[in-house]
Amino acid sequence: MLQYILKRIFIFIPTLIAITLLGFIISVNAPGDAVGRMVSSVQGNGDMGAQSVGIEIKKKEWREKLGLDLPIFYFSLTSLSRPDTLYKIYDKNEKEALDRLIDKYGNWEQIEMYHNSLTKFYLNQERFTIDTNKIKQYDKNAVLEALNQLKFEASALKASYEKVVINAKMEKVSNLLNTYSFLTPFKSDFEKVKQNYSSIEKNVSVWKNYIPRIAFYGYKNQYHRWLFGDGGKFSKGLLLHGDFGISYVTRQPISDVIYSKIGWSLFFSMLSVILAYLISIPIGVKAAAKRGSRFDKSSSIILFMLYSMPSFWLATLLIMTFANTDVFSWLPASGVKPALGYPDGASFLEMVKISVPYIILPAICYTYSSFAFLSRTMRVAMLDVVGQDYIRTARAKGLSEKKVIWKHGLKNALLPIITIFANVFPAAIGGSVIIESIFTIPGMGSESIYAIQNNDYPMIIAVLTITGFLTLVGYLISDILYAIVDPRISYK
Amino acid sequence: MEDKNLNIENLEIKLESENDFNFKKFAWKQFKKNKPAYYSYKILIFLAILALISPIIATDQPLYCKYKGVTMFPALSFYNSCEIKNEDGTTEIIQYDIAEWKLLDATSIIFAPIAYDPNKTDYNNAGYISPGGKQIFIDKAGNEKKMPAKFRHWFGTGKAGEDVLSGLINGTRISLSIGILSMLIASFLGIFLGALAGYFGDNKLQTSRGALWTMLIGVVFAYYYGFSIRSYKISDAFADSGFSVLMQLIISLIIFCAVLFVFYLLGKLVGKISVFKKSVFIPVDSIVSRTIEILISMPLLILIISISAIAKEKSIINLMVIIGLTTWTGIARLTRAEFLRISNLDYIQAAKSMGFKEFRIIFKHALPNALAPALVAIAFGVASAILIESSLSFLGVGVPPSTATWGSLLNAGREQFSAWWLVVFPGLAIFLTVTIYNLLGEGLRDALDPRLKK
Repeated sequence: MLQYILKRIFIFIPTLIAITLLGFIISVNAPGDAVGRMVSSVQGNGDMGAQSVGIEIKKKEWREKLGLDLPIFYFSLTSLSRPDTLYKIYDKNEKEALDRLIDKYGNWEQIEMYHNSLTKFYLNQERFTIDTNKIKQYDKNAVLEALNQLKFEASALKASYEKVVINAKMEKVSNLLNTYSFLTPFKSDFEKVKQNYSSIEKNVSVWKNYIPRIAFYGYKNQYHRWLFGDGGKFSKGLLLHGDFGISYVTRQPISDVIYSKIGWSLFFSMLSVILAYLISIPIGVKAAAKRGSRFDKSSSIILFMLYSMPSFWLATLLIMTFANTDVFSWLPASGVKPALGYPDGASFLEMVKISVPYIILPAICYTYSSFAFLSRTMRVAMLDVVGQDYIRTARAKGLSEKKVIWKHGLKNALLPIITIFANVFPAAIGGSVIIESIFTIPGMGSESIYAIQNNDYPMIIAVLTITGFLTLVGYLISDILYAIVDPRISYK
Repeated sequence: MEDKNLNIENLEIKLESENDFNFKKFAWKQFKKNKPAYYSYKILIFLAILALISPIIATDQPLYCKYKGVTMFPALSFYNSCEIKNEDGTTEIIQYDIAEWKLLDATSIIFAPIAYDPNKTDYNNAGYISPGGKQIFIDKAGNEKKMPAKFRHWFGTGKAGEDVLSGLINGTRISLSIGILSMLIASFLGIFLGALAGYFGDNKLQTSRGALWTMLIGVVFAYYYGFSIRSYKISDAFADSGFSVLMQLIISLIIFCAVLFVFYLLGKLVGKISVFKKSVFIPVDSIVSRTIEILISMPLLILIISISAIAKEKSIINLMVIIGLTTWTGIARLTRAEFLRISNLDYIQAAKSMGFKEFRIIFKHALPNALAPALVAIAFGVASAILIESSLSFLGVGVPPSTATWGSLLNAGREQFSAWWLVVFPGLAIFLTVTIYNLLGEGLRDALDPRLKK
């Protein structure tokens, strides 16, 4: 037995790593600019130039804090034409533009030169300050306008990769440079950009794209940092300290968010399992014991319909009927407590009393589907048991039918539904996305949906990873429980 | 070899005719006896036909129209416009999709049974008009009239005047196609992987060390040439249309398989070198089982939503692929269990002893006998795929917001509870379809596996 458990745990590790990888892959490909969002609310009013410099510094800080300045993984599959250092370019659009240029031309040396000259061109503009008093021939606003336009075109050029677009932008820039004499300091820079671009087109080496190469980055990468932390500087690491990082929305540690949200989800999933067991076991047993009776038939039909009923429909119907001022305004439609919170100084019992009406409808929705499933499983399991020899023996002994079924039969029929209990905790982490968001229960399910809608990927990965982990543990526990309860099963 | 093979197949046919027992016929008979399942099957055929012809029964474009001497078939035609020459020499262009057909002075016109488009609005009847409520029709002169029966919103309207019945019929097409196509993907994956895992187990697929390593390198190369290089082509296709995404993916898959095949041949050669000759077992079962374990340990809905959030464009095809790629586990598990049983049966041993190729045995001899449980799982799978799709559109994620689906209609009903028709009808449609598939699954299980029937 011990050997079996050890073996299972041993298999467990690669599975767990694969789960973290899957979550990680999703987050890496996720849309949205995390750093930009972290910085966005810091923006203040002030001098344009100083502000953009300030933002750049802030962005750099956040990149380091979130570990986004690191390569993604230990290694990557890339081509001969691509450099190892492409990850150092922070701007997603710029990176994509460069990568697409490589994809098209395959000559990194030239593309790098082009990119560097373009960056220089752009940065010189950023640093450029015009003494507007000196330039008399133009209107002050026109000067600023022209400069801004130039900046805009230059930054757009950095993110373009199609030949037509690049040519059009370049033409616009040279027009600007020719029109305004005060822009002449940029002319030489721009000539260089143009030169470099034409040299890209001249020295095409597409063949390099067709030769795969594996680039190694060592352990300083985002995945490693996520798992093991960076020595406690910004992240403690998932494996040793359970640190999932910072939520992009609230900027709080993910574990705090989960801690504050899991309560209600756990409450509802426990409640629903207990209720479901309480109702489904008697129904399943009774239906199986009197097989073919009217009770069996009608319960079968009802259970089947409940089983096929979409939970969001039932939830909407319930709210429409029992929490609708036009029909019955008996119960509140959403939340778990009054909108203004509990009254001051309310004791626990009073709080429970206040919350009960809020809980009834969600509890029904949480329970009915698992209850339908459990009853059906219970019935089948019981039918299996009733046909066995030892039940006949029990009957032959002259035991009452009640005793045969409830005492001798039930014990063994309970086996298959033990498994389901192991799913309670993982279900609590994922929460029931639909029911929680319909009833606006502040639990993990509505939090997950909120996280997805706001691209809060650290949160989503945390949910995926923890659920995966708990499910695996649940399987292990239920397998062991099986072996303990049923001596016929042995793991060797 | 070929001769023997012929013999054995002839023999099979002969045996069948001697015993006069055809399992398919028997199963069909059993299935027919199961009344709920049989009726579900009939309703399903009806729904499928409804889904297929939905573009011509719920559309605002008339089926037939005669206008100024020109005959048009807007709903049935592939063109979107028609030029009409007036008597004074000017030309009038009628664009089929934006023309105000209901106000047209046509000589004769035949409308579709539901003369509304699911995505268009009827402003005159906006603001949740109930099925039995007063619906108005404003004619060309601007006179308000009672709604003629052929234009009536039989199932009411939504907030902006969307026709609910038209949305429902259109939703049938979306739900059924997502359910069926995603299960097609899932069953290919599930049956293939389940069959390999069950048949080979952990210690039956033997190969030389050299071939294994070459194959592993081959997978990297195949991925590189199939997907890495083409990544921008694929991602650009997403901006184009669902069809071109499919095309690009298929091209990628073909390249992937071709490269893999080259490496397979190469591996055979490498395996002949004495250093790499040592034979090793490929733990197919472990690999497949672990993959299944990983997928089923994830919360399905959250996984699907977060994957579909990655895609730049929301589209139905994306959703199909994602649902297909995440729900094959049930089918794979059942197929695997069935193959575990079958691979030890005598007739497989016999086929092996005759020297048939493994893949031939798997797909020709073993698979037909292992399909029954998979078929049942597929029927249940379609039900759950439909549920997933409608849950996603209920939450407002997954499908494009402009598409009218059962879930999105129901979601719209949440804004206004007095509009019961927006909640009841779409919900009933989902419930009915899911029930049908579940009943079908149960019926198939009873019919195909007599051992389970008690």
